[in-house]
Amino acid sequence: MGKIRGCELPEDLFYFAEKHVWANPLEGGIVRVGMTTVAGKLAGGKLNAVTVRAKNIGAEIPAGKSVATVESSKYVGPVPAPVTGVLKRANEKLAADPNLAIRDPYGEGWIAELEATHWEAEKANLLNGPAGLDAYRAKLEAENISCE
Amino acid sequence: MDADKILIMMTSGPDTPRRCATPFFMATLAAAMDYDVTMFFTIDGTLLLKKGMAATVFPKAGGKSVAEFLSEAVEAGVKLTACTASTELHGLAPEDLIDGVKMVGGASFWQMSEEAKTVVSF
Repeated sequence: MGKIRGCELPEDLFYFAEKHVWANPLEGGIVRVGMTTVAGKLAGGKLNAVTVRAKNIGAEIPAGKSVATVESSKYVGPVPAPVTGVLKRANEKLAADPNLAIRDPYGEGWIAELEATHWEAEKANLLNGPAGLDAYRAKLEAENISCE
Repeated sequence: MDADKILIMMTSGPDTPRRCATPFFMATLAAAMDYDVTMFFTIDGTLLLKKGMAATVFPKAGGKSVAEFLSEAVEAGVKLTACTASTELHGLAPEDLIDGVKMVGGASFWQMSEEAKTVVSF
């Protein structure tokens, strides 16, 4: 697992770095989405709620639009879709324990799953692999963000 | 996906700081959920839009100022409107308010209410 400025950032994920969201393509066109350790840090390290709007399940969410919201005492904001897709399901564990998204952001703390409609075309907009992490590092350095 | 409209009527002002965080928080949250959010400031709420005022109001001692809550809402896409009559109540001219506030009359409130899916008053 890669570590940049103290932030765990696995090299195999695809990042929408502007909003600190990750995407992981699973089988059958499903893309799992979650927030990075950077997002957790910016939210103050403790969340009060992670909510997926029930009405959106089954709806197509354009890339950049909200699939979920996170709330903490320091921060409130969206978790935008890294790619366009039909919202299939939310991680129900987060309703009872929103801080799973902080403790295990790339595992049990995933947020939602989309059925991507243009994955092959849109994945090019996301950061991935060693070159992607270098770009993410440059962004964190430019904005002076650190997880340490 | 057409965004549903939400209208938040804000009547609380600098005299009741503890009532001045949640309305902005809820507005920001609704915008983060991709609702189309408008806040309508009237009665004492309008005073929060007076230039410099929001920075002096702290809902919680040692916490964020209302100015911070307000700028987060604006950044999230929340639109600000103020009741013209309420500025007169406080002896304010439109130019005394922060930039980006649209002045509207009372009838606009009813029209915005009619167009909104949800109206909340604080």
